[in-house]
Amino acid sequence: MIRFIDIHKRFGSHVVLDGVSLDVDQGEVFYIVGMSGAGKSVLVKHLIGLIRPDKGQILLDKWDVTWLSEAELYSVRKSCAMVFQNSTLFDAMTVVDNVALPIRKHLKLSAGDVRDMALAKLDLVGMRKAADQMPAELGDGLKKRVAIARALTLDPRYVIFDEPTTGLDPLAAAQVDDLIRTLKAQAGVTSIVVSHDLRSIFSVADRIAMLYQGKVRIDGTPDEIRASEDPVVRQFFSGDPDGPMETT
Amino acid sequence: MALHALNTTHRASGNILASLGRPFLSAGRFLSELGRLFRDTAVAIARGRFSGAAVIKQAYEIGNRSVPFIAITLGVLGLISVYQVATQVAQIIPDFSMIGAAFIQMMVREFAPTITGLMVATRVGSGIAAEIGSMVVTEQVDALRMCNADPVEYLVAPRTIASAVMVVMLTAVGVVFATFAGMLVGKGAFGIPYNTFLSLQLTGIGDVAIGVTKALSYGIAIPVIASQAGLATTGGSAGVGWAATSAVVNTSFAVIVIDFVISALAFLVH
Repeated sequence: MIRFIDIHKRFGSHVVLDGVSLDVDQGEVFYIVGMSGAGKSVLVKHLIGLIRPDKGQILLDKWDVTWLSEAELYSVRKSCAMVFQNSTLFDAMTVVDNVALPIRKHLKLSAGDVRDMALAKLDLVGMRKAADQMPAELGDGLKKRVAIARALTLDPRYVIFDEPTTGLDPLAAAQVDDLIRTLKAQAGVTSIVVSHDLRSIFSVADRIAMLYQGKVRIDGTPDEIRASEDPVVRQFFSGDPDGPMETT
Repeated sequence: MALHALNTTHRASGNILASLGRPFLSAGRFLSELGRLFRDTAVAIARGRFSGAAVIKQAYEIGNRSVPFIAITLGVLGLISVYQVATQVAQIIPDFSMIGAAFIQMMVREFAPTITGLMVATRVGSGIAAEIGSMVVTEQVDALRMCNADPVEYLVAPRTIASAVMVVMLTAVGVVFATFAGMLVGKGAFGIPYNTFLSLQLTGIGDVAIGVTKALSYGIAIPVIASQAGLATTGGSAGVGWAATSAVVNTSFAVIVIDFVISALAFLVH
């Protein structure tokens, strides 16, 4: 289980998170939505120590991970992977080397075993043939698949997806949604997904939380979200430009 | 009304104080971050936590690809220096016998390491800051941390080792080309025989030690300072540009400061 407890974060004078509290249950597919700049990516990065809160606590399976050192975060990052918004493949490495890096850094295996493990993960996402290509040779959708393969190398129990379907064609986006469902069904993986993709949200999510003006506006199942009478929630999910939401 | 005026005055004086103090706080934070990065880099190198292949790749980028640039710059510098000095000497005492010896000493001790350092600071420093800054804004540095790859071990340490070695070697290349160019102009314009010019009479082991120390110091400082600029990048592509500019300014300034410190210490010791 993951718990974000009263998280506050500001960058300079800009308050991004103003007391955000959320619980994510084991095995859940939990979507975090909100306008651009609402703090969705900032929030999830707290879980893996990429950002530290100004105030608040983050618990991972009752373990306080808020102020762990880089060395202590080793175990957290082994069990909690992240697929970044921009895929973030390392330009100077081949596809297979990108996927192999976490294996090399976390496990003491021979070069051959590392490569075999990496190729197996590329197989999962249908990218084995591109193993020796450079990231610059791939399109955005294919890069995203490689990024997912890299995130899954150590069989994590938790995966954070930061806008996994942004920039993908509908077929590729559907394949990513299917992968998230499969991870839950077959491996019990808990997924936290930051997304704007309404189609994906309502077809995959077990629960959805919406951030607005630094706070949690609503936290519920897809049906509860659809039934919400909150005008801000209704405006966001309907995509209506006119309404009470402050967009600046 | 008086209370409002008092509050306004209090706010104004607070703002003035804040404005005065802000640069000092900013400088303090920068020096603190830089100190931490130097420490972490030294620890990574001491523990052998870097890739040899990465060091060789960086050595090629920093060293081999800078050779033409350094050779031309120091060659032209040698040419101009000898011409200017010999012209002045001709007007005072037309005795050119010590020009070569003095020129070589100054090259070895001062000009070659420092000009090489400044050139490497502009060419390599901006490149390192831009490359690492781009990695920061595209979250590649975050992804490295997620893979348990320490960005200092992975990005900074190899560049530091490569730069330390290559700046010394580039300095040697610079000395050779500057001396060769100076020798040609000495002979061509002032009739100084080659064997008169090529004199190590004034160049001792102390001068070589000072030159090597300067080159090594610049070679260590440049990639660390440039990496700090890259790692501190915010704000997308504009931020990357600022990081590159900041790296050039800070590394160039560092070369001058280090030059002053080592020269002063050498003067006291020698």
